[in-house]
Amino acid sequence: MLRLFISRCALALFVVFAISIICFLLSHVAVDPASGVAGDSATDADLEAIRLQYGFDRPLILQYGDYVAGVMRGDLGTSYLSGEPVSALIAERIPATALLACLSIAFALALAVPLGVLAALRPNSWLDRGALTLAVVGQAVPNFWAGLLLILLFGIKLQWLPISGSSTLAHFVLPAITLGSFAMPALMRLIRAGMIEVLEADYIRTARAMGLSQRAILFKYALRNAVLPVISLTAVQFGFMLGGSIIVESVFAIQGIGYLAWQSMSRSDMPVIQAIVLFISLVYIVLTLLADLLNAALDPRIREKS
Amino acid sequence: MTLLHKFKTTSAVAALFSLCAGAAFAGPSDNSLTIGLGEEPPGFDGYISTARDGVMMTRHLFDMLVYRNPETFDYEPLLATEWTRIDDLTWEFKLREGVTFHDGSAFDADDVVWTLNTYADPETGARSQASVSWIDRIEAVDPMTVRVVSKTPFPAAMEFIAGSLPIYPSDYAQEVGLQAFSQAPIGTGPYMLEGGDSGQFTLKAFGDYYEGGGKGTPSIETLNVRIIPDTATRIAEVIGGNVEWIWNVPEDQVSQLDTLPTVTAEQGSTMRIAMVAMDAAGRANPDTPMADIKVRQAINHAIDRDAIVANLVGGDGEVINVPCYPMQFGCDTAAAVSYDYDPEKAQALLADAGYADGFSIKMLSYRDRARAEAVQSYLAAVGIEAELEVVQARASFSAWREGGVDLWYGDWGSFSIADVSASMGNFFNGSTNDGARDQAVMDLIAQADATVDEDARKAAYSEAIKEITERAYWVPMHTIVMGYAYTTGLNFTPNVDELPRFFLASWE
Repeated sequence: MLRLFISRCALALFVVFAISIICFLLSHVAVDPASGVAGDSATDADLEAIRLQYGFDRPLILQYGDYVAGVMRGDLGTSYLSGEPVSALIAERIPATALLACLSIAFALALAVPLGVLAALRPNSWLDRGALTLAVVGQAVPNFWAGLLLILLFGIKLQWLPISGSSTLAHFVLPAITLGSFAMPALMRLIRAGMIEVLEADYIRTARAMGLSQRAILFKYALRNAVLPVISLTAVQFGFMLGGSIIVESVFAIQGIGYLAWQSMSRSDMPVIQAIVLFISLVYIVLTLLADLLNAALDPRIREKS
Repeated sequence: MTLLHKFKTTSAVAALFSLCAGAAFAGPSDNSLTIGLGEEPPGFDGYISTARDGVMMTRHLFDMLVYRNPETFDYEPLLATEWTRIDDLTWEFKLREGVTFHDGSAFDADDVVWTLNTYADPETGARSQASVSWIDRIEAVDPMTVRVVSKTPFPAAMEFIAGSLPIYPSDYAQEVGLQAFSQAPIGTGPYMLEGGDSGQFTLKAFGDYYEGGGKGTPSIETLNVRIIPDTATRIAEVIGGNVEWIWNVPEDQVSQLDTLPTVTAEQGSTMRIAMVAMDAAGRANPDTPMADIKVRQAINHAIDRDAIVANLVGGDGEVINVPCYPMQFGCDTAAAVSYDYDPEKAQALLADAGYADGFSIKMLSYRDRARAEAVQSYLAAVGIEAELEVVQARASFSAWREGGVDLWYGDWGSFSIADVSASMGNFFNGSTNDGARDQAVMDLIAQADATVDEDARKAAYSEAIKEITERAYWVPMHTIVMGYAYTTGLNFTPNVDELPRFFLASWE
């Protein structure tokens, strides 16, 4: 278990390092960073002044070296545009994104688990078909469109819910539904498939033969085994949400990580972009690690193997 | 039964949530206006925050020395009550007595001297160096008189003084530092920043704002600014009435929005001009067909600009034949050679140039894909295959400047400055924006930039316009229109300089 943990951590560090290089190179090659900082109507003199001020005229390797040295000291740099420390900008936006991610994943699981279990109990029934249709629709409808439809219905027609902003809990309802319904189908299908497989297993038949109640069989014996891959997938989905959904946060004007990423990209605010990419990869890596450990805790076989 | 029950529960939950949401902004009843912007200004320092939304906020929080009336284009008193030119380099300003900053401190010459001298220093890092780099120094003659001295005779000085140089309180700004100042600004403007957090902030009318300045005194008490990045969401908020003013409304949405009883939508003309600039200097490719004057003339004849304006620009968009905005000083439309839509002539010119079979080139654009595709198909009709890429504004500008494309369908707002030095002066002066690099034109521009004699400047610019259009370095396309939508009952007038002035707005 400890060996697994250490090797995973080493791998994670390597991934973070590789990501930082790729991101750094891409953001310097795609657009002249000076023209990003200066804006559309910059003159040559503006660009030159900015290059000198920010050191864009120096070799890339030196700029990258400075960046890495800063990160090692816990200094993610300062935003070219607002001049605020990047760590503060990110910290300021984590609560909104985290709240949205928790609500969305809760919404997704609240739909996916019961629907998946019910569908598995009666494969090919009308309920299974209905759940499948819901899954296909949820997966196929693009986020921005689903968001707009929800805005039209609940925001404008019925006027039940606020459309944009993040000042009250009510502001998170529509975005959480939008984001959650995109994550829900994969989870539901995975639960359904896992349950069908498990319910046909010998030990379930044995349990039935022993006269155990349906409830005990379902929740104590079947679901616990079917849920293992679901945990991994949930972790990945949750990581994706914690990284901030650029589209959902933009559509609903939620001041989270995704919106910050989008804004920084459109303004070539390099230090912020790099820090966000680093942050997102860290979130992913930590969550996958946690999912592995949780799986190991739930399934003795995984523990034994490692 | 269950469905109905469920429905009831949902409505109850929703009702609960709408209670949590609190009262929406009330508009006319509490004399406030909620504004939806697409981008959050990085701060409120007008020398740093140079994107449109930021410039707009600067004009509300701060005052410049003079005000340029957006209707008449005349200069009117603001922080200065009188001004005279002492010599070719020097302007003298008499400052207004009794002006106070939002924190109650008094305004005097020290504030002007400190602000302008600080930002004229390139080390301070003003984003738009063009706005300040011409300044040699600012001197106080007495506590209520200052002199602005330029390095060389600088004809557009008053334009920049009225447009881009807000005055800060020297004591406060020095005390807190410019970084903190940008987050908690204090000015003399008609509105003061009351506060806000990420995604929204509030401006309150400044009670002690002086009377007699060009901006008048504000009628609307509170401006609530909300940042909503998505255009569709901004439009939805205006329809729902939670946001009462937005801009950058796409052309096709304006007419639809205007049919709603609660929303007024309109297209305002702007001084932003669109052009297809050609890489005549061959920066992208030394063998580019663009180097041939006949090819450039052919491209001018190939594009039906009237059709593009009528069908895709909308509003008051107009075809232009000059490489500048016609209302700008020195933009002599009579001097321009114009090219009518004549695809046959275009083909003949191409054949003359040895391109009877056409050729293919790279074309870059942003802002509006439909317009760019229209140009692409007009070119295809005469045998020119333009490989079109539509990218973000910034990527597009930097590609053109680095000389990566043959054709660039871009646009230019001239920093809202009504002088040709801000348009032609930026695109034909040998800078990276200049795809022509025509020495004769560059000399004319330099000559016009170096004198304050209005007639001499006009003459030089007219000559430059003639050269540029004769040699067909650009296809001057059209003016751009800006789409606005706001709650009906708001008195609001769009201005050609794309700077909304809420201190002039009011509720009916």
